[in-house]
Amino acid sequence: MNKESFYQFSTLTVLALLVAFYGGTYLLTLLIKKKKENTDAFMVSNHQIGFGLGAASMTATWIWAASFYGAATSGYTYGISGPLHYGLWGALMILFIYPFGRRFRELAPNAHTLGELIHARHGSSSQLILASSNILGSIISLMVNFTASGALVSVLSPLSFQAGVVIAGVGVLSYTLWSGFRASVLTDFAQLMAMMAVAILIIPAVLFALGGPGTLSDGMSLLTPEQANLFSMDAILNQGAPFFVAVLAYAIGNQTISQRLFAVREDHIKPTFITATIGYGAIVIGLGMIGLMALMTGMEPIDGDMNNLIPQMVSMYLSPVFIGLFFILVIGSLSSTADSDLSAMSAIVMADVYGKNIAKNKPDPTKMLFIGRLTMIVATLIGVILASFSMDILIMLVFVGALWGAIVFPVIASCFWNRVTNAAFTSAVIAGLLMFCIARFELLPMVSVIPVLFELLAAVGGGVVLGLMAFGFGGRRVGMIVATIAAIALAFFCVGFLRDYTVLLASLMAYGVSTIVCVVVSLLSSSEFDFTQIDQKVINYDPVKPGVQA
Amino acid sequence: MQTFILGSYVLIWPLVSLAILAVIGVATWKDIQKARREKTELV
Repeated sequence: MNKESFYQFSTLTVLALLVAFYGGTYLLTLLIKKKKENTDAFMVSNHQIGFGLGAASMTATWIWAASFYGAATSGYTYGISGPLHYGLWGALMILFIYPFGRRFRELAPNAHTLGELIHARHGSSSQLILASSNILGSIISLMVNFTASGALVSVLSPLSFQAGVVIAGVGVLSYTLWSGFRASVLTDFAQLMAMMAVAILIIPAVLFALGGPGTLSDGMSLLTPEQANLFSMDAILNQGAPFFVAVLAYAIGNQTISQRLFAVREDHIKPTFITATIGYGAIVIGLGMIGLMALMTGMEPIDGDMNNLIPQMVSMYLSPVFIGLFFILVIGSLSSTADSDLSAMSAIVMADVYGKNIAKNKPDPTKMLFIGRLTMIVATLIGVILASFSMDILIMLVFVGALWGAIVFPVIASCFWNRVTNAAFTSAVIAGLLMFCIARFELLPMVSVIPVLFELLAAVGGGVVLGLMAFGFGGRRVGMIVATIAAIALAFFCVGFLRDYTVLLASLMAYGVSTIVCVVVSLLSSSEFDFTQIDQKVINYDPVKPGVQA
Repeated sequence: MQTFILGSYVLIWPLVSLAILAVIGVATWKDIQKARREKTELV
């Protein structure tokens, strides 16, 4: 690493910044700390989070360190449309889940995790599939965020990568451990306010330090025709489409979102999620513009590492005060996501593992809280250890999103269609994952009819994605029509073409295969589920009503 | 014209962020007031 190219803080300065950030955040949580926390409040607060805090928490949680680096990489790689193809689809993940979130709340108003709802609907095997995928996602997220902290600290100061990882781990754990989700939501607000304020200052600061909009105009000559095109097919197929496919998968597969769906006041779900959508999009696309500006000024990332783009631009063009603000921006983003991941994992282990499968719906609240806190400590340790492995952030995002793709249709169908059975859910997910792996890792030779079959399954998957989105806002009839038309149109375009885009092909296949298996196996059974049973089975665990003062 | 469009394309995002910052700030202030009035906890 060529550290001379970056501004260097002294060890004392960077430690002071970290102590100020984590110390201030910890002090903030003392405002809500209770000697004896309530288990339900520890997991989802009081189910009555207001619009402001809910929107702030959702936005802060969804913005992680990878958001900045990924958006800037996309801007640098794909040019004008790059930041849009990163930020827009990421934002839509928040938007498209809320109609389904309202259904989740209607079915299980006392739920803490989506897994509890699925447990009441299908039983343990389906619930544990969902819970395991949630935990996998949160562990990866923790690892990526701690890695980003280590990279930032090592680039901008004499401290080592490991020191940055450990400080972030200890810092996040310290303020989340006692009050869980309540602490996460409160600190998300403060962290988001800081992140937004910094983003609002840094983006124009970089632009005018470069010489203003005129410099960008001059830099257009450095762009390839594809990079200069707002509707670049290269950007759509390699960046936008895989993200678009992952829109619903990320939202369903991520407990940090469903935790907020169950925590926000029911009548505030819609404005909360719409505001978070716009907030996320604006910040992430805006910071992606720094990557575009780097491209338009002919800058080369140090060591060819795209993650150096933003630190390099900030170091090169801005004063040390702005570099300090950028440091806080990244630490704030990674901490807000990491604390949400810790809260999410603790809720899954508390409710899905201990509450439902060990204590059989009759848990000891004290033991439950202990298990939740222990989960946070273990998860932090795992995240810190794994962070020592360097992995490409953008590829990880697409890969995990595609894995979750196999779960989307079975989960949504289970909440709306009374014919879906446990066998249908489980077999659909396994078949979807299996076919995803076969296509993604090219385990079968792509010759003869195999690529055509894969492309047709992917076309079905594309129809399912668009159909589910339409279904969320327009109902069953609209969803079915959109899905059918989209699948037929995609079949026409995909055959002979999609085989060259392995990630996209595999991701769409996960949707297509899981949907086909889920529908077929469900139709083979004559059983019909009574949805009113879910509310009776999904309960609050603590006898004290959460969140209300005596 | 191209300069104006490119400048606007970059600067629109901090402006939208500013608007959302204001919306969330005001809404949270109202949440705090409501919690105090009704003697309930904010989170």
